[in-house]
Amino acid sequence: MSNGFRLGLFTTIVRPEEKAILQAAEARGVEVVRLDDGELTFGLERPSGLPEVVLNRSVSHTRALYAALCLEHYGVRSVNGPGVLELAGDKVRTSLRLAERGVPTPRTVVALSPEAALKAVEEVGYPAVLKPAVGSWGRLMAKVDDASSAEQIVEHKEALGSAVHSVFYVQEFVPKPDRDLRVFVVGPRVLGAMYRRSAAWRTNAARGATTEAAPLTDELRELALRAADAVGGGVLAVDLMESPRGLVVHEVNPTPEFKALGAATGADIAGPIVDYAVEVGRR
Amino acid sequence: MTECPECAASVESHDKVLGEVFPCTDCGTELEVQAVEPFAVQPAPKEAEDWGE
Repeated sequence: MSNGFRLGLFTTIVRPEEKAILQAAEARGVEVVRLDDGELTFGLERPSGLPEVVLNRSVSHTRALYAALCLEHYGVRSVNGPGVLELAGDKVRTSLRLAERGVPTPRTVVALSPEAALKAVEEVGYPAVLKPAVGSWGRLMAKVDDASSAEQIVEHKEALGSAVHSVFYVQEFVPKPDRDLRVFVVGPRVLGAMYRRSAAWRTNAARGATTEAAPLTDELRELALRAADAVGGGVLAVDLMESPRGLVVHEVNPTPEFKALGAATGADIAGPIVDYAVEVGRR
Repeated sequence: MTECPECAASVESHDKVLGEVFPCTDCGTELEVQAVEPFAVQPAPKEAEDWGE
């Protein structure tokens, strides 16, 4: 397979997911070039020795995005590309795009000041959920039950002082069962789906939610592919909730973990990711 | 084999790869493989605000 073709693997750290990707590449005879997001530099001229395609697995949204932009400048494709990272790495942009494409998503209001954030919460109604526009694993998400807690949470976010927390992303609290759904998409393929179950309201696997395989219904498959397509397609994990008005997509993750999904469904995830990246690199 | 930089427990290299993150079996500190040969580890980088999926 090699024939001089090389797959770049751009990482911050190597988790079980990246290790599985390295093993899948080796099994396919694909030569891998390791690229450390903390060590590389990017000039304006294309450097020599770049791989044909780069699988972007940086856990830092900022590093992933700027690296993908520089690689695009050099004429090197990334999986996922910068356009996908820009859209799916930012909840505001994701929501706008999902709405534009008619993909059902929870009611969302964005505010750009603490004062407007309190109005946004009132517009959404209680309980509401306040999320950072960038970030995941349920970090710094807050459930807002009443006006008093809204004031406190907004004040705390303001005190954090970072630009990310000056954007207030307010979403309706979806009265779902004690679980949500994650569907893994690679290019045009849906590899599997799982429930993430937790007695707490956040159902992130990183927060200790338990996982189990979910039946991949036609509706789930179709909605996941539409959501993935809305952000530009690629290697994506689409998160959905079972709301009283049907399935709604609340997140599309552009550098998704898949250890839990692989364990829950038995599906090979790393292999198809490598195959897809190679395919993109050969286009 | 090397030592955990936090608790000095023995850390085995096994089939670990460069950059791999794993917990010390004694103290639970997240470690990162700094070099495979000779095997060396350092505390794993702390999670930053923009880290995620």
